[in-house]
Amino acid sequence: MTAASGRAFDGAAPSRSLSNYGVVGFRVELLRLIVAMAILGLIVAFYLGDTFTLNILATTFLFAGLATAWNIIGGLGGQFSLGHSVFFAIGAYVTAGFYMRLGVSPWFALAPAAVLAAIVSALVSFPVFRLRGPFFAIATMALTEVVLSLALYFESVTGGARGISVPFRRGFANMIFTDRLSYALLMMGFLAITLLVLAYIARSRLGYELRAIRDNDRTAEAAGINVVRTKLIGMAISAALMAIGGGLYMMYVRVADPPTLLSLFDIGVKVALITLIGGIGTIYGPLLGALLVVPLESMLRATLGGVFPGSNLVVLGIILILTALYLRKGIAGAAEGIYTRIRKGRRT
Amino acid sequence: MNMNVANSSTTPLIELDRVSKRFGGLQAVADVSFSMRSGEIVSLIGPNGAGKTTLFNLITGQLQPSEGVLSFEGREIGNLKPHQRARIGFGRTFQISQTLTSMSVLENAMIGAFLQEKELAAAAARAQHALTLVGLDHAAKRRSGELTLGERRRLEVARALSMNPKIVLLDEVMAGLNETEVEEIISLVRKLNAEGVTFLVIEHNLKVVRAFSQRVLVLNRGQLLAEGTADDVLANPDVIEAYLGRSGQ
Ligand SMILES: Nc1ncnc2c1ncn2[C@@H]1O[C@H](COP(=O)(O)OP(=O)(O)OP(=O)(O)O)[C@@H](O)[C@H]1O
Ligand SMILES: [Mg+2]
Repeated sequence: MTAASGRAFDGAAPSRSLSNYGVVGFRVELLRLIVAMAILGLIVAFYLGDTFTLNILATTFLFAGLATAWNIIGGLGGQFSLGHSVFFAIGAYVTAGFYMRLGVSPWFALAPAAVLAAIVSALVSFPVFRLRGPFFAIATMALTEVVLSLALYFESVTGGARGISVPFRRGFANMIFTDRLSYALLMMGFLAITLLVLAYIARSRLGYELRAIRDNDRTAEAAGINVVRTKLIGMAISAALMAIGGGLYMMYVRVADPPTLLSLFDIGVKVALITLIGGIGTIYGPLLGALLVVPLESMLRATLGGVFPGSNLVVLGIILILTALYLRKGIAGAAEGIYTRIRKGRRT
Repeated sequence: MNMNVANSSTTPLIELDRVSKRFGGLQAVADVSFSMRSGEIVSLIGPNGAGKTTLFNLITGQLQPSEGVLSFEGREIGNLKPHQRARIGFGRTFQISQTLTSMSVLENAMIGAFLQEKELAAAAARAQHALTLVGLDHAAKRRSGELTLGERRRLEVARALSMNPKIVLLDEVMAGLNETEVEEIISLVRKLNAEGVTFLVIEHNLKVVRAFSQRVLVLNRGQLLAEGTADDVLANPDVIEAYLGRSGQ
C-alpha cells in the first residue's frame, strides 16, 4: 500500500513530546506568559497609590502591547512596516465615532475597529508586499503621510486639525475612569491579549510559516507556503490588535488630532524601535523594549522636555545605536544568550 | 484507488512539451520535451550554463516558460504557483542551499512537514524522520547556521522529503559532500525510489549518475542533446564533445 503511494513517507510518525525535539509548544509558552503577567501585576501593586507612576505604567503597557502587535508581522514575518500608526488611528476613530455618535460602549466598538483595520491592512498590503526590504518600509511610511492628509481632509470623521475630544463621563461602560489604576490595568489587559496572540502564533504553524518567509521566501514557497496569503494573515492580525490599542488610547487621552494619531515617529517608528531594542521576532522582546524605553522617555520629557525639546528622541536614538552595536538580538536575545550559557555551564 | 494506480502507469508523472525560456536575448532553455514515469530516477546532466537549473525552475514554478506546456499527472500545471506545485507533490532543493538560519535544524525540516501536518508535534515527528533518513538526526537541535556545507545540502533534502513529495528534484546536492556522504545519499535515493518516489537529479559527478540513474538527459546550450541509459549517453560522441568542448570536464 505504502509502496504504491509514490510518496516519500505516508506512515504515521510516532509522537513524542515537543520538548524532546527542542521545540517550545504553546502550553509551555502560556506558563511563561502567566509568569510574565504576574510580575507586571506585582509592579503595579507596588505603585498602587502613585498616580505619576501608574500613568507611566499605563503608557508603557500600551506601547508594549502595540509593539507586540507590530512584532507579529514586523518581527515574525519580517515585513518592516513603519505605517502601523494608520491602523492605530483607525482604531481610535472608529471607537470614538461609535461611542460619540451612536452611543456604543467603547468596549463593543473595539470589535468593528479591529475588523476595519484588518480589512484596510489587507487591502493596502497587497500591492506593497511586492516590495522588499527598505522599499517596503518606505512605502508604508508614505502610506502614513497619505492617510494623514486624508484624515485632515475628512473633518466630519476626524475633527480635522482640531481633532476629537471625548467628553469626560466616567463609568465602566464608557471606559472612562478617574483613577489611574483602572487605566494601568486596562492597558495591562491589552498587553496580555497581544502577548497571548503573538505567543499562540509563534508556537503554531502560522508562526513557523511567517518565520520561514522572513528567512527565505523562495524556500518557504518551495515548501508549499502561500507567501502572499500568509503575510496578509499576519498583517491583518497585527493591524487588528493595533486598532484595539488605538481605541484604548483614544479613551485614555480623550483628545487626539490626526498628527498625533498618525505620528510617524511617535507611533509608527516607535513601535518598531521598541521591538528592535527589546528583541525583534521574540515573544517578550517588545515588552522588554517598552519597559526600558517608555519610562525613560516619560521621565526625560518631564525633566528635560521644557529645556531641551526633543531630548527624548536623542536618548531613544542612543539606545538604539547601543543595541545595534552590543545587543544584536535586543534585550531578549541577550537574556537568552546568558541563560543558555548558564545552562551549558551547569551541564559540564 | 485502483483507478489511480491504473492512471499512474499510463499517464506520465511529469511531461514537458516544447518548453522554452528566454532571458532577454539569451535562450536558456530551448524547445525541451521529455516525460517521466512515476517511480523513475532520471539524471539531468550538461556543462555549466546549459540551462539545467533554469529547467528545474520551470518545472517547479519559480520561472514561467516563454513557450511550451508542462503537465503533472496528465494535468496542465503551467499556471500553478510554486507553492501550489509543492502541494500537488513537487519537492526540491536549490543549487545554492537555502537554510532558514533563525531556526534549528529540525525546525528547518518542519517547514516542509507543515505541508502535511497542522500540529507542531506531528510536524516535528515527521521532520525528525526526514532528518534520520538523511543522517542528520543527531544534529536536530543545532542551529542550522552552524552546519557545514554538506550538512546544509542534506538538510535541504530532508526539508523536501518531509513534504512527502511524489517527485523530488535535487539540484547538485552531492557537490561539496565527502565520499561517505555521497554514498549515503545514493542509497537514500535508491531506498526512497523503491518505495515509489520519483527523482529528477542534476548531477555533475558521473560516477553518481551511473550509480543510480535509470535514464539520463543531457542538456547543452538549452537544448536536449541526448537521452538514454547512462552508458549509452556517456558514450555518445556529441555528449563527449559538449563536455570537452565547453567546460573541459
Ligand atoms: N534569472 C536569470 N536571468 C538571466 N539569465 C539567467 C537567469 N538564470 C540563468 N540565466 C542564464 O541562463 C543560462 C543557464 O543557466 P542555468 O543556471 O540554468 O545553468 P546550469 O545548467 O544550471 O549551470 P550550472 O551547472 O553552472 O549550475 C546561463 O547562461 C545563465 O547565466
Ligand atoms: Mg545549475
